[in-house]
Amino acid sequence: MPSASDTTSVSTTDPTPVGDRSRRGSMLLKAVGLVALTVAVLSFPAVAANPFILSVGVVIMSYAVLATSWNFVGGFTGYISLGHASYSGLGAYATGLLVIHTSMNPWLAMLLAGLVVAVLAVPIGIASLRVRGASFVIVSIALVLILLLVFQSWGSFTGGSNGLRVPRPFGPEVLRPEQHERFFYLHAALLAVALLVWWLIDRSRFGTGLKAIREDEDKAQALGVPTFTYKLIAFVVSAFFTALGGGMYALWFGFLDPIFQFSILVGSYMVLMSLLGGIRSLFGPFLGAVIVGYAVEYFKNQYGDTQFHLVAMGLLLGLVVLFMPDGIIPAATALVDRFRPQRTSIREVSAADLAEQRRTADPEAARADQQSRTDDGTDVPDASAETSTGAATDNDSPTVTEGARR
Amino acid sequence: MTATSEAAGPAAATPTTPSLATVDLKKSFGGVHAVDGATVTFHHGKVNALIGPNGSGKTTFFNCVTGMIKPDSGSVSYRGADITGKAPHRIARAGIGRSFQLCRIFPRMTVMENMLVAVRSTSLRRQLASARNAEELDRARGLLARVGIEHLEHSLARDISYGQQKLLELAGVLMGDPDTIMLDEPAGGVNPALIDRIATLVRSLNAEGKTFIVVEHNMELVMSLSDHVVVFDRGRPICEGTPTVVQSDPRVLEAYLGI
Repeated sequence: MPSASDTTSVSTTDPTPVGDRSRRGSMLLKAVGLVALTVAVLSFPAVAANPFILSVGVVIMSYAVLATSWNFVGGFTGYISLGHASYSGLGAYATGLLVIHTSMNPWLAMLLAGLVVAVLAVPIGIASLRVRGASFVIVSIALVLILLLVFQSWGSFTGGSNGLRVPRPFGPEVLRPEQHERFFYLHAALLAVALLVWWLIDRSRFGTGLKAIREDEDKAQALGVPTFTYKLIAFVVSAFFTALGGGMYALWFGFLDPIFQFSILVGSYMVLMSLLGGIRSLFGPFLGAVIVGYAVEYFKNQYGDTQFHLVAMGLLLGLVVLFMPDGIIPAATALVDRFRPQRTSIREVSAADLAEQRRTADPEAARADQQSRTDDGTDVPDASAETSTGAATDNDSPTVTEGARR
Repeated sequence: MTATSEAAGPAAATPTTPSLATVDLKKSFGGVHAVDGATVTFHHGKVNALIGPNGSGKTTFFNCVTGMIKPDSGSVSYRGADITGKAPHRIARAGIGRSFQLCRIFPRMTVMENMLVAVRSTSLRRQLASARNAEELDRARGLLARVGIEHLEHSLARDISYGQQKLLELAGVLMGDPDTIMLDEPAGGVNPALIDRIATLVRSLNAEGKTFIVVEHNMELVMSLSDHVVVFDRGRPICEGTPTVVQSDPRVLEAYLGI
């Protein structure tokens, strides 16, 4: 049994204590960060200078909900949907129409709209998740365009291009700034729920299966992951939360126009925000929403009705893809990690790598030395093995490791 | 049994029962008959090898058997049950684990996360529970230790060496606790020392009752490792038997050496 090899014998000397300490440290850091984030979000309405800034805050939170919801399918499974505006739009219209025609409680209407969209997402998912990559993107865009045409043309039901006025959930005695404040907290609560569900999935077996699909779908299936069912569940959950986000936006904004609800741009923003923050990070889409949401409002404010904000967004997306393909959060984490004590000791990696290099460089000698170890199982420190590991461990200069790891 | 099969041991004493079997399996891509009427039986509890020249249909055969591609006709059965055309994850959970020709791991997941992918039960409660429960982690660490890479637990799979990735792939397959393990070129692209380590692993796992079906080009390894060898040429078996029988068969020499 080759249970112990040269690499293991070197490594078992110390990595666990360092690993435990840094893990406990990072957990503390995470808890502090979470509290700070919550305080920052909840205190925003109090520090917002005027109702306009507060309304920008609501827009950003709405984007954060949509991007985080998008990330259930984009981040976990790697299926990039550019057409998630379908679900936010359907959620918005379903909420509005339910409130108008049944005069039911607006929050109940929003929840019901979310469930209706989730049910609709089942056949849509079954049809569209059969294809991967670019084909999936195109199918998702096609759906938005179809819905745009339907909602524009079916004027008698949807209000068509004239738009749909959605009654506000709060009475006339609640003034605009108060409305914004309430909706800011409501969006924050919805975001918190979406983040909690994302986190629960992330740590579950189901989530591990989804991430495996993102990395290599066929391989995941060969390991017993029912890939199609998993993708479909993630897709439906994503559509559900996206629809809730759309519904809440409808209740806040009070007016729906198909051209803005079923727009490729809204779907692209969800993708851009998530990519910018980092699709594999819990808070990635949120961070992206803050940056992109703020930038959009800033550019609109500066350049008025021109299309300049679109150019700026395009540039931003280009920069992200070129320089931070994994997003800001992973890039920042990697930067921080570089200044931290290594979780796995420098020594063991360099020993393994050096041994590997030696083997490729000089297969004959390496073979002879390796054989003496693998054959009798335990790590016998014969002359050649001693020199090889000895040389590697003594020579643990960071430059060697840096070079070998990168 | 021949003297060369060291791993045979107790398994060789028991009468052979069919593990995986195919009847008249066919698969063509356009005009190419990749698998052309293959009727093969692999033996339970043995190390079976599948050899043949490049393009003889071994990998297509593997893919048909594991459900990655649907065969055009013919049938596949596993321990008596028909599994023809079933989805890969169902075949995996029926007890057949497999590796891929060019080692496939999940590059941006850690070594430990790679280990936790294999699904043994799809009960809802189990799927929604945390992936990192103590029992599962212990099992994963045990298997990583067995293949000798337990110290890399926290590394990203893309950062470890190719040889270590091969070992990780094998350990990941073992997490699913398969009865039968299909290895597609386990020795491809790895150094001789690692080949020895993989061979030792296969022998010890076989001694514990795992059945192996190995596609391999390294003849030295095939002859020393296997109990039963099936030789493929142009999509169908041309000869099978113990390594010594196969080695001296004129059809094999012709297929391989063109004489």
